[in-house]
Amino acid sequence: MMKTFKIGGVHPNDNKISRNCAIEVLPLPQTVFISMAQHLGAPAKPIVAVGDQVKAGQVIAEPGGFISAYVHSSVSGTVKSVAPRKDLSGNLMTHVEIAVEGDEWAEGIDLSDTLVTEIPTDKAETLKKIQMCGVVGLGGATFPAHVKLNPAPGCKAECLILNGAECEPFLTSDNRIMIEKSKEIVIGAAIMKMVLGGCPAVIGIEENKPEAISAMSKAVAELGYEGISVMKLKKKYPQGGEKQLINAVMKREVKSGGLPISVGAVVQNVATSLAVYEAVQKNKPLVTNTMTITGDCLPVEKQHNYLFRIGMPLSYIAEYAGGIPEGAAKIVSGGPMMGKAISNLDACTVKGSSSLLYLSEAFTKRKEASACIRCGKCADACPMGLEPFLLNKLAKNAMMDELEARSIQDCISCGCCQFTCPANIPLLDTINIAKGQVMGIMRARAAAAKAAAEAAKAAPQK
Amino acid sequence: MNKLLVSPSPHVHSPLSTQRLMLDVVIALLPATVVSVLFYGWRELMLVAVSIVACVGLEWLITRFLLKRKSTIADLSAVVTGLLLALNVPPTCPWWVIVIGAIFAVGVAKMTFGGLGQNTFNPAIAARVFLLVSFPAYMTDWTIPAGFIHTDAVSGATLLGKYAEGGIEAIQGTDYLHTLLFNIGGSAGEISAIALLAGFVYLLCRRVIKPWITLSIWGTVAVAGLLFWLINPGQYPDPVFCLLTGGVLLGSIFMATDYVTSPMSDWGGVVFGVGIGLLTVLIRYFGAYPEGVSFAILIMNAFVPLINKAFHQKKYGRA
Repeated sequence: MMKTFKIGGVHPNDNKISRNCAIEVLPLPQTVFISMAQHLGAPAKPIVAVGDQVKAGQVIAEPGGFISAYVHSSVSGTVKSVAPRKDLSGNLMTHVEIAVEGDEWAEGIDLSDTLVTEIPTDKAETLKKIQMCGVVGLGGATFPAHVKLNPAPGCKAECLILNGAECEPFLTSDNRIMIEKSKEIVIGAAIMKMVLGGCPAVIGIEENKPEAISAMSKAVAELGYEGISVMKLKKKYPQGGEKQLINAVMKREVKSGGLPISVGAVVQNVATSLAVYEAVQKNKPLVTNTMTITGDCLPVEKQHNYLFRIGMPLSYIAEYAGGIPEGAAKIVSGGPMMGKAISNLDACTVKGSSSLLYLSEAFTKRKEASACIRCGKCADACPMGLEPFLLNKLAKNAMMDELEARSIQDCISCGCCQFTCPANIPLLDTINIAKGQVMGIMRARAAAAKAAAEAAKAAPQK
Repeated sequence: MNKLLVSPSPHVHSPLSTQRLMLDVVIALLPATVVSVLFYGWRELMLVAVSIVACVGLEWLITRFLLKRKSTIADLSAVVTGLLLALNVPPTCPWWVIVIGAIFAVGVAKMTFGGLGQNTFNPAIAARVFLLVSFPAYMTDWTIPAGFIHTDAVSGATLLGKYAEGGIEAIQGTDYLHTLLFNIGGSAGEISAIALLAGFVYLLCRRVIKPWITLSIWGTVAVAGLLFWLINPGQYPDPVFCLLTGGVLLGSIFMATDYVTSPMSDWGGVVFGVGIGLLTVLIRYFGAYPEGVSFAILIMNAFVPLINKAFHQKKYGRA
């Protein structure tokens, strides 16, 4: 019996057209623009100035808060500017512009392919290395990895889950690294397992990636670390959602508002595991990642999986890959279910970039919405068990208390509801906006309660 | 470069559409429609056509001239209403009675409430009950017109009608196999249980509906029927008779499962179905009418908002 999450889910056509495209290394552009917001949390603070010479792998920005990450230069060259620039959604963010000169790497970085299989034993030092190398979660949320791998006192990791589900249609970069870098990923898992105190590690992979499943199983067997296994998962979206994956692998549910560690789970993407391997064993900071060039209107021979460096302009990558294909109506960064439509191709790759997805108008254009027929298919599809039709209606009437009572804050924005809706109602648009408002209200209430408690404490006792 | 589309995710949509769902319901009703035309002849086909044209035409007129908004007839929901209405009246029903039914179904039960998705009561059921109360003679004239299978018009009565008139003796020796295949006498669509069940299987396979409402109606009718039968088999018919006769199959498969007028959650659907089943049996045995499915569905339609408030799907992480 194949494992899967229990509630909801949808079955979009997986379109893994580029599954057999081996990873190719992108040549260096003339200039890179490295964003200070490469991760969830506070943007990093640049520590380089115009005119500085930098090497690839050198720190160029420090964390801007507890939830933040180091950013390193991905190239060697001269800093040309430290200035705001538009990211792919069109928002301004500070970028460090570096003119590429040669390809010289900072000292101590091992760029060879030699496998380092010995697992370190010092937890604190390993965590520090992961942090210093700027490793963030590469499954989409880009949450700083060292924070997740260092559970708060009182929390104990019972299972490390490696996310190789890659449930988003079209994307194949995780598939490729699992085939081409299987051993590195398994070593990364062993390192994280050590950091977490030796809990078992499970590598979850959807059934539609048989080559990846066999490659990873082989690597696990050959390396022979204890307590690491591969689990075949049913092809169902969003199998790779953190809460869904925990449910599939551990049969547990994370309580609303809780963190995965509250049920003993730590989830990391397979690409993050590779980055951990490179950071800890090779001293190589996170400045490269793999992305897929794909889409329904891109001929299969023009599809690629590229090893890119952070800061490469998307327009440069698109040009190198053969230009924007005829018939592309929308370019998405990420998968078709949760990715962002790109409004600005001058934006640059970041640590978490995963794709350039070219979609045709027929494939992607929204159809006109009609009346809700109360079929309940959105509620059946919702992996969180919510009632999107109801949330949509409540949101339109700005009924904030009722929205909270109906758990809108649990929504993971996976898009299953809108994908399914036979009336083409843009449910997620409305729900996302209302969710932001409700969570703002909840935060304000929590802050007010905290302030009141502190004031009561500070007041003189009578 | 051409202009690019930019919108929030998701960037892809399933092939599901309202139109496709309604088309599936029409397809699921085809076996029953074909069988009734075979048995009741061209006249039945004419009634189906009149009913559909009246429902669709009326919706078009209302959206075009009264509401002055974009026509919604392309969603095919009016076709479903028209077809269901035709299958819910006797094959002898005058065409103008059907037109009045269509006016009530679309004009009152559907469009007055705001059109598809807004109506509290199933339009076809509401119209059937309206006609039953307004034109009882036409609505209970069970003369069987000449069709393609048998060529002479004969006077018939429904099994439930016979039971209501003559008690248990009147229905002794009913051949259930015959009833399952062609239960002559009754509303046009009730003729063949097999044809209706084929539609049910199609709807389930296409995942248009879930089975819970239908199954809980059957279960309740069977259990309630069994209880009465056990108490006094000399007065009450057996549960198989209860299930196969009248509008139980047509109502439970096609009318009670109407998205708009049934509960959203699975358990809500079960409560709804049990309510319909109980009311059906009570009306049959203690009410003024021999058949109670339509009334039962209509009454339970009114409880749907309450049921929806009480029953929700299971949420993740909220156990």
